[in-house]
Amino acid sequence: MTYKSQRIAYLFFATSMLLLSLQIVYGFIMAFAHMGYDVLHTVVPFNAARATHTNLLVVWLLSGFMGAAYFIIPEEAERELWSPKLAVVQWAALVVVGVIAIVGFHFNWWEGRKFLEIPRPLDYLVVVDVLAFLLNIGMTAFKGKRLHTTGMVLFVGLFAAALLYLPGVITFENQVRDSYFRWWVVHLWVEGVWELILGSMLSYLLIKLTGIDREVIEKWLYVIVGLTFLSGILGTGHHYYFIGTPKYWLAIGGIFSALEPLSFLGMALYGVTMARRGGRNHPNKMALTWTVGCAIMSFVGAGFLGFAHTIPQVNKWTHGTLVTAMHGHLAFWGAYGMIVLAMIAYAMPKLTGRKRYSGWVPEWAFWTSNLGMLGMTGAFAVAGISQVYLERKVGMDFLVVQKALQVHFLGLVLAASLFTIGIVLYIVNFIGYGLPRAELGDASEDADDDNLVPAAAE
Amino acid sequence: MLSKSQAKLFFLAGTAVFSMAFLALTVDSLAQVPGRSNEAAMTPAVVRGKMIWDRNNCMGCHTLLGEGAYYAPELTRVYTRRGPEWMRAFLKDPNGMFPGERRMVAYKFSDQEIADLIEFFQWIGNVDTNGFPFKPDLAPPAPAAPVGGSRLASAPSTYKTLCNACHSIEGQGGKVGPALDDLRGRYDAVTLDKWLSDPQAVKPGTAMPNLKLSPEVRKELVGWLLPTK
Repeated sequence: MTYKSQRIAYLFFATSMLLLSLQIVYGFIMAFAHMGYDVLHTVVPFNAARATHTNLLVVWLLSGFMGAAYFIIPEEAERELWSPKLAVVQWAALVVVGVIAIVGFHFNWWEGRKFLEIPRPLDYLVVVDVLAFLLNIGMTAFKGKRLHTTGMVLFVGLFAAALLYLPGVITFENQVRDSYFRWWVVHLWVEGVWELILGSMLSYLLIKLTGIDREVIEKWLYVIVGLTFLSGILGTGHHYYFIGTPKYWLAIGGIFSALEPLSFLGMALYGVTMARRGGRNHPNKMALTWTVGCAIMSFVGAGFLGFAHTIPQVNKWTHGTLVTAMHGHLAFWGAYGMIVLAMIAYAMPKLTGRKRYSGWVPEWAFWTSNLGMLGMTGAFAVAGISQVYLERKVGMDFLVVQKALQVHFLGLVLAASLFTIGIVLYIVNFIGYGLPRAELGDASEDADDDNLVPAAAE
Repeated sequence: MLSKSQAKLFFLAGTAVFSMAFLALTVDSLAQVPGRSNEAAMTPAVVRGKMIWDRNNCMGCHTLLGEGAYYAPELTRVYTRRGPEWMRAFLKDPNGMFPGERRMVAYKFSDQEIADLIEFFQWIGNVDTNGFPFKPDLAPPAPAAPVGGSRLASAPSTYKTLCNACHSIEGQGGKVGPALDDLRGRYDAVTLDKWLSDPQAVKPGTAMPNLKLSPEVRKELVGWLLPTK
């Protein structure tokens, strides 16, 4: 840790850990409901569990991005954070809004718009909160000695994400128009500007962990985010096949969605190549494992599975089935969950001065969570493809098909248990790091192992 | 070899070009929405129905236009699939229609809210979705109507709108409940009437819902289901 104010990141990382744990709990509630054990129906009906599960995901990722920004931007701008106080207030506000939203879901207080369920009054608070965040990192960047490309791409990504939240705050009476603009938020986030955030975090971690020249890494960062927008903007079209929008979206969405894996393939090659070429033998192997893992899994989940599901001839049958859940789980995990966990794995030794990155706990955390998530993806795939054939292609009754699918949710629960073990280990390790230490905030600090030859593990 | 400034130019130019293209297509798409979604038919009742749909987060279980969750049926074409009578009976008591099956939240909608929801579903059923949801292409062929005309033609309207959703006659209709082709010999008029008025009393645990039919409607159904030759 070079600057004292980077410590703020810890608050956001800890929040992410807590919300991720809760997200898993709600995932299990839904998996059991799908198996026929909807025992919490009167307390947490499926739609409440679903809204909670997905919103917790969005908030823990955003909290992770914010923490990452508070950690990265001071280094990229080479100065302390503009206002650490505002950052703490902004964190507290985020938590309060999040808690109210999640509790509200359980009392039927929401908007029924997938991923944007947070009710309107809270939307405005989110906007204010994000503006405070952007002001803080913006001023830090602006007042800094310089702002490297990585920091700038991160800032632009976060700024554009805030801007794109606005179409989600408009009320539409026509369901078609409502849906059209809902994807401006959801799609242009996850397959657009969030990839800027992902790309810049990846590039930051690769610079720090591999020791490869910043210029080289940042050049490829431009190429990757360039490919993202080249494919991802018109790739929004894959959400416009069947919602009442013109037929030409089938062609446009189909072609540009097919290009979307390119940016993820770019990221995977980038991560692997840079990690192999890197001359530096960074002691924090786990951070590098998560970073390269993220680059690869985002290609598999977001790139490849997304491609397979958005071909119009396939999507015609899979649209609105569990196949979407299959793609969604591995995509969010690989692209966004893993980059946040990579960032935390990198930042925690810096923040606390403790080196808990070797030994079986962090290693098993990585492998069991990833194998668990791959297993879950497999279970969703079997359930989803069966649903497509029985319900959509043969025309069997919905509930009859769902009964037949119950057994696959047992598989899901087993894989999810493995995943949960991995996350528990990760969080145990996180807690073991303890709180950040103020005295580390000094540029001359020796514990900064980015510049060290392998240090002996604690 | 590509330089950093060239890479930056690629990013900026690409983003600008494709953003403009997207905005242009958006303008065109939005111009087509009123026609394709039959916006003229969006009465205040339809809009109220849409608000009920949103307010209760129906998308948290169902899909509409294929969007939502995968826990409950896709509803874009529910109006043609089920018809208003069935939908009204269902929305009055969602779990009564499928006893012992996956549960829907019992919303206790008022008659007005139910009417609004049905209007909303009728409207959305006419949106041009480029064919979604598609007709099952591997479905077994429906049996041809028997020579001499189908008996269904003479069915009471209650049969056509409610019973038909689960039961079949001459191979036509739903497959959730048993076929009702020949009930004679299995039921007499008194038992069948009792069955229709309270299925659980006749066969505890049955999936047959109590549709709260009036005695007149039951009489009409029994008379049609058990014709005296």
